[in-house]
Amino acid sequence: MLGSIRSRLAPIAVLAILVLLITPVIAGSAFWLDNSVIVAIFSLLALSVGMAYGQAGILSMAPAAFGAIGAFATSIVTARYGVSPLIGLVLALLLPAVLAYPMARAITRLSPLPLSIATLLLSLVLELAIREGGSFTGGYIGISGIPSLWFAESIFAMHVLSWCLVVAVLVLYANLTESAIGRAVKTARHDPLRATADGVNVPALLACYFAISASVAGLAGWLYAHHLTYMGPDSLTMHVSIKIVLMAVIGGASTLLGPILGAAFLTLLTLYLPAAETQGMIFGIVLIFVLLVAPNGVFGTDWKKLLMKRATQKSAAVRTVATGEGAA
Amino acid sequence: MYELVEYLLRGALLGITYGLLAFPVSLLFSTTGSVDVALGAYAVLAVAVAYTIGGPIGILAAILAAVFASFIVGIISLRLNRPGAVDHITAVLGTFGLAMFLESFILSVFGTNPMIRQPFETFWNLGGIRISPQTGINAAVCLVILTALFVVLRQTPFGRSMRASAANPVGASLNGIPVRQIWFATYLLGGLLAGIAGVLILYTTGADYSSAFTLTIWGFGSAIIFGMHSPLRGFAGGLMIGMVQALCAGYLPGAWATAIPFIVIFVVLSAGRMNQIAATGGRV
Repeated sequence: MLGSIRSRLAPIAVLAILVLLITPVIAGSAFWLDNSVIVAIFSLLALSVGMAYGQAGILSMAPAAFGAIGAFATSIVTARYGVSPLIGLVLALLLPAVLAYPMARAITRLSPLPLSIATLLLSLVLELAIREGGSFTGGYIGISGIPSLWFAESIFAMHVLSWCLVVAVLVLYANLTESAIGRAVKTARHDPLRATADGVNVPALLACYFAISASVAGLAGWLYAHHLTYMGPDSLTMHVSIKIVLMAVIGGASTLLGPILGAAFLTLLTLYLPAAETQGMIFGIVLIFVLLVAPNGVFGTDWKKLLMKRATQKSAAVRTVATGEGAA
Repeated sequence: MYELVEYLLRGALLGITYGLLAFPVSLLFSTTGSVDVALGAYAVLAVAVAYTIGGPIGILAAILAAVFASFIVGIISLRLNRPGAVDHITAVLGTFGLAMFLESFILSVFGTNPMIRQPFETFWNLGGIRISPQTGINAAVCLVILTALFVVLRQTPFGRSMRASAANPVGASLNGIPVRQIWFATYLLGGLLAGIAGVLILYTTGADYSSAFTLTIWGFGSAIIFGMHSPLRGFAGGLMIGMVQALCAGYLPGAWATAIPFIVIFVVLSAGRMNQIAATGGRV
């Protein structure tokens, strides 16, 4: 029991130590602290993809949309009605889940392919709703003057808070993955029929898991809104979604730390990339490349095995031809 | 009443191009069990190329560009669906990546301007409804293509192989049908049709760099509305989606007009047949 807890929390401890080591180095620089908060926010968004795609096999093309729902929920109540950001936090956690559950329930009766199309639809409708929302969502102008968090006024406090949230989410996520529910989700992903035979209500379970992942994205949106103090129709769009999916896939969607590695890598890479227009090209190519070379990501791939396979590729190729059509 | 007829007619004419996009969706889904999200991006690529070059050469180049893009997607998807890793979601993710690439490519090469051409000055008058002759061309092109595809699918050995690999990939390969090559050809066919649809879109409603995903959704919606397994149904679905759009645009205020067709597709998706694949646990 103790051993399982230790192995489960080991990667999180590694992350916590890394953050503790990095903190004194960047503490003096507002630029790097700002980027560190951004990395933390995108880590949460990528973790949401990791949960849905890596664990449950549901490809959401709209993590940024769920983040935007959380961000707009808190922006509207705090900036317009002067409510405490903590109420905003509750809304940011609840609203995405409330939206995601029935959506997943209606669609995923087991087949994840239509659901990914549905998330694409959601993304399009939401972007439209934000633009046309008039004074409620700020329309094209967006909402500015979102209050920063009173308990994390300075950028350094924000850095600490956001990484604490990442670690907290990771601990909960690790527990969930190891629990009976997590195992049921894995079974349901690989063999829904088997899971049903084992007494798992697959559609309800997957929808629930999807809702939880949307909630994590909503949390990220809450941080995003209070960190940047501005939310507009171009803040969390589908282009951000592809970036987030890419983060999760690069690092390893089914692993704990993979999405965080991906988030850190891509955020830092974006700092040195040319204009925003060409970013989509680079992200698209990187995504395809990663899918082709190591579809399980950096942390999810058994590199030793992969390299061994490359060495014996010729004999493997012969076998592939022989069995290829059968597996199709 | 008269208004209603006008909207329905306009919608149906608009839906013709969606019907063209629906065909590759249903074909690809029934042969490979996967969805090509980049379909709309091929069409927009064709729009951009035809707009920039212009003339018959432009049209040819546009269709070639779309086919070339689908060629790349075909290669990628075949690599992703290699034995031991048949995961349709990964393939969808790959096409999503390529769609993003194409969208960004179109944005940086061709700019943000909407691309549209109106080749006709005069309009036909159909009982008081002004209609551009271009829609007539669209309808004719679609009819020709659909007939050709129908003949190819029903009458030629290639079509028979294609239907066989759709119905039962394992059985087909046991009978010596090169299933993977057929899959690849399906992707190419998708690019060809999307390219043609793109050219027609350029001369009717126009498009800009951001239309790619919307077009994919229209094609997908058209394909699922009457079931995925027949190109003719997809065509009818396209007309249907076009009519829904035209009615919404006619009777609803601005934003709703754009949103309602999406919501209709969502409802179809949640009630539709695609979910019934579920009965086999996702194994098509």
